[in-house]
Amino acid sequence: MAQIFPKWTNNLPTYVALGTFVLLTGAVGFVWYYFSPEYTDVGYRPKQPVAYSHKVHAGDLGIDCRYCHTGVETQAQANVPPTRTCMNCHTMVNTDSDKLALVRESFASGRPIEWVRVHNLPDYAYFDHSAHITAGVGCASCHGRVDQMEEVALVEPLSMGWCLNCHKNPDLHLRPLDQVTNMKWEAPVSQAEFARAARTEKDINPSIECSACHR
Amino acid sequence: MGRQGKEYWRSLNQLADTDEFKEFLHREFPKGTVELAGNAWSRRSFLTTMGASLALAGLAGCRRPVEKIVPYVTRPEEIQPGLPNRYATTMPLGGSACGLVVTSREGRPVKIEGNELHPSSQGAAGTFMQASILGLYDPDRSQEVLKDGRSSDWDAFVAFWKKQQVWHIADGGEGLAVLSESFSSPSLSRLKTQFEKAYPRAKWVSYDPVSDGNISLGIEAATGRKLQPVYDYSKAKVVLSLDSDFLGFESESVKATLGFADGRRVLSQQDDMSRLYVVETALSITGSTADHRLAIEGGRIAAFARALAGELSRQGVLLNVLDNVTLPDGSDFDGKWLEVAAADLIAAGRQSLIVVGRRQPAEVHALVLALNEALGNIGETVSYNENSDSPDSNRETLAELTADMREGRVSTLIYLGGNPVYNAPVDLEFASSLRKVKTIIHFGLYADESAAGANWHVPQAHFLESWGDARAVDGTTSVIQPLIEPLYGAHTDLEFASLLTSGETKSAHDAVKDTWKDILGGGDFDKKWRRVLHDGLLTGSAAANVIPRIDRRGLTGIISASTVEKSKVTVSNMEIGFYSSNVFDGRFANNGWLQELPDAVTKIAWDNVALVSPATAEELKVENGDMVTLNYEGRSLEMPVWISPGQAKYTVAVALGYGRTAAGRVGTNTGFDTYRLRTAGAPYFASGLTVGNIGNNYTLANTQDHGSMEGRPIVRENTLAGYKDKVEFFPEEPHHPPLVALWDEVKYDKGYQWGMSIDLNACTGCGACVIACQSENNIPIVGKEQVHNGREMHWVRLDRYYAGDKENPEVVMQPMTCQQCENAPCEQVCPVAATTHDDEGLNVMVYNRCIGTRYCSNNCPYKVRRFNFFNYTNDIPEVAKMAQNPEVTVRFRGVMEKCTYCIQRINTAKIDSRSKGREVADGEIVTACQQSCPAKAIVFGNINDPESEVSKLKENNRKYHVLEEINTRPRTSYMARLRNPNPALVSKESHKSEHENG
Repeated sequence: MAQIFPKWTNNLPTYVALGTFVLLTGAVGFVWYYFSPEYTDVGYRPKQPVAYSHKVHAGDLGIDCRYCHTGVETQAQANVPPTRTCMNCHTMVNTDSDKLALVRESFASGRPIEWVRVHNLPDYAYFDHSAHITAGVGCASCHGRVDQMEEVALVEPLSMGWCLNCHKNPDLHLRPLDQVTNMKWEAPVSQAEFARAARTEKDINPSIECSACHR
Repeated sequence: MGRQGKEYWRSLNQLADTDEFKEFLHREFPKGTVELAGNAWSRRSFLTTMGASLALAGLAGCRRPVEKIVPYVTRPEEIQPGLPNRYATTMPLGGSACGLVVTSREGRPVKIEGNELHPSSQGAAGTFMQASILGLYDPDRSQEVLKDGRSSDWDAFVAFWKKQQVWHIADGGEGLAVLSESFSSPSLSRLKTQFEKAYPRAKWVSYDPVSDGNISLGIEAATGRKLQPVYDYSKAKVVLSLDSDFLGFESESVKATLGFADGRRVLSQQDDMSRLYVVETALSITGSTADHRLAIEGGRIAAFARALAGELSRQGVLLNVLDNVTLPDGSDFDGKWLEVAAADLIAAGRQSLIVVGRRQPAEVHALVLALNEALGNIGETVSYNENSDSPDSNRETLAELTADMREGRVSTLIYLGGNPVYNAPVDLEFASSLRKVKTIIHFGLYADESAAGANWHVPQAHFLESWGDARAVDGTTSVIQPLIEPLYGAHTDLEFASLLTSGETKSAHDAVKDTWKDILGGGDFDKKWRRVLHDGLLTGSAAANVIPRIDRRGLTGIISASTVEKSKVTVSNMEIGFYSSNVFDGRFANNGWLQELPDAVTKIAWDNVALVSPATAEELKVENGDMVTLNYEGRSLEMPVWISPGQAKYTVAVALGYGRTAAGRVGTNTGFDTYRLRTAGAPYFASGLTVGNIGNNYTLANTQDHGSMEGRPIVRENTLAGYKDKVEFFPEEPHHPPLVALWDEVKYDKGYQWGMSIDLNACTGCGACVIACQSENNIPIVGKEQVHNGREMHWVRLDRYYAGDKENPEVVMQPMTCQQCENAPCEQVCPVAATTHDDEGLNVMVYNRCIGTRYCSNNCPYKVRRFNFFNYTNDIPEVAKMAQNPEVTVRFRGVMEKCTYCIQRINTAKIDSRSKGREVADGEIVTACQQSCPAKAIVFGNINDPESEVSKLKENNRKYHVLEEINTRPRTSYMARLRNPNPALVSKESHKSEHENG
């Protein structure tokens, strides 16, 4: 009787094993990359109800971040400005711009503008802006060059691993306090020395305990 | 000392060592808990739902949830989104007022704490005050004006009243009656005076089912004046309570607890503490704290007071005001007890105090005023003031009003709050007497039992939504300011009363300001008013103390008018006693926090029960949970029985306020309506009760046996004399080999190291900390069935242990919460490192990591971990979610949780101090339980700072750790309990208990 299986089938288990290995590794790699916040979140640029340009305001006009984000130095939330803050200028500047129609409408009707949140942490993680600002972490460290963005996009993954990287070694992100909101600031050559001095002076040893962020 | 042999037991089951109890100990959770059966959830339906939610999660998970940021259009000056604001206000409750500070976030109040400036709260707040935040957001509160049960509106009511008012003015208010609750508000008093002027022939009756009416009547009889007593327990060396639960449910219990605890703070062997004698019927919070307790029927306390007067007089106290009264000897009572207590009161010389509870009739209050006077206590431990704004001056009683209504003499009845259809004495047949009333107007928080038969129902605003004012018991004028616009468009008492009086709508704010223009006098009103709003009260407005002169004729008259009889109760003629409870008189019945707070003594939640003593239960042949019929004066009520050690023999105690029929989703049909047995003649107690056993068992949710400590030295104590003699506490710490950890020991010696100290000598077990924690940490309500399954979620468990004689046990209370062990057993068994230790010594719980194996709970020797068996928060009505604290994660199903030492408060303080470039100061971080504790029993702080208060307490020789021998090294330590028994009674009592147990 002829053999039922041809000879090449002898190698089949090896191929199957190899194939499975490649597939599994591929799957792990796929999930590793495509399910990570680096892929899913970074670059998130939702359309905002008002075409507000950070580039114009923070970049070209050089308005300080804190003009609008008033809570950033003193509390957890930086806060998005009330409509009135826009109207402080726009009752005089560009008073009939189409882009500002919604802002004027909001101011007249008292109905707030619904901005879309870009930087969103999970509800079980508690981030405090003031703690980071007073330590000398620049806005740009987490938010990127907002002064160059027409529409704000997420530039960092805001994942726990990303947070911990800096909490373990914050040296690269510390600046003099007067430079915190300066978007154009770049680390000097002597950054390592500055960081060492600042950390000693202000006792900056960021916690890597769970309780630092989770409550 | 003979105390080593004292055996602690938590429940009668444990004492009996039944099989049921043994099984309970061996199971991590009670039977039926782990099986997902339940009534509502079959395994199949659970899996179906899970499958569906997984499928949905799979779809939704791909997309990032879009979240909106909605800023203000114009930000109010005082609100920084994200930062809480705190406002002072006042909670009126009956004739008293408690000053509060309410935390508000973006305009929604989230947490209630006591106002340190206010004499009635002094920074702490009781359970009713704190839980009222949930009452504010209660979705079952009435939301619209009802005309004959159909939807209407305020304008329609105003139009109606304007028409109606014309007739009433025309005939001087003939047939017009207002039925209000008692109050102590200057503005409402002013409006009431105006009302009486506008309608001179109208009636204004005030009725509360549980009130201080007897107290005022008694004092008035004895002195001829309307006076308000104010007690100072901190000064009293010897306190004798006659049926007064002054640490529990009497008025001003927060202030009393602080004062009493201050009088018992022992920090070294040189310190002294007060002694408390309690004579009462049912074991109360106060009775649990007593050094000597006598359990007698409520009806014999009057006789006891007279016997005490006789004894005091025999021992040389000048009591000539009572010359015309025959004072019995103490032969009806424990003569030695009486003699010793009287001698102790005299020995304390002007520093003693006798208090009588509101349940006792006026004559006892009158007599005791004379006794306090004779002992020299007036002006020392008790003072009196004239409180001008409480409505008791109206002598019309509810009974007279009901008679008038029945005879058709009332054409218009207006309820100003209150719920008499539910809580009026049953023999008045209040509901049927309404038939001849043409127009009934109900103004109240809920469309409740009384609203059902009314022609008009007008929703009342919650006090957190109202402008108003109230006078504290010491006379301090306090302001009620709104934290939020009325959620359901309701109107405040003052607006309603203004409308009734003038027919015009006037804002409550204006009404209050009108009153306060007189109160604040001349000068810059706005400036003074702003100060008042800031402080919540007018500083220095306490009423002047009055030294009452005893009106001999009045006193003799009221005492001679009643006779005292010897005890007659038997098993077929028992005494029934009515008590206020965690839902007070029923007004808090729809408050889930208060319903789920276990009773301080019985530890039963979500129900009221008929309490009987173990000996009585034996005679009645009833067991815990057996349904019995209570037959009293031809009426009967079926309810479950509960055996309560310390209950007086042949008495039954029942709590009022349950069994509501129109309370709302939480309170309706919860428990049993004991008002159905309560008559006008016997509002608080009466004999003539028979108890019949029905036999079938009723399921009660009791937290009593949960987390038993299996007889180990959990609560340790000594007598004051024993402690002064030698620093030792009983039960003694077990002998153990040197404590060596299995793992490398971590040194916690840098930075902040958090720790807590709980003084068991101060703790009364009132439950304020439980509610504070629930409010602060978003702890869900789980309902009766889940509590019965042992799934209550309270992070603070108040344990109550009994010791000694079953019929009159010694009681200790112990708040038990996560001990934040340095060698935490829970951490070592978590497979996913969801509970770990941080460098400040906190045992942290990371909810997002937890996969719900419950190993940690299994391994926790203190049984303080709580598991979310269901997604409880999902069931919270949308509006009640506004009460949640945004600083604390809301936990999901399948996640373990436990006390965190209020880590949100720690982190806030740390960040705040860092940004200001300084260290966290001692006392800057106050945990929610510590903040609310009226006894200041809890102290929290940095134990790495030797100067901190908590460090000093941890150096104190009363400090001990629970289960020290298993080397968990808890961060929470306890201060051993001290008792201060009178040596003259000790030998006798211990002899007696040995005799009875033997």
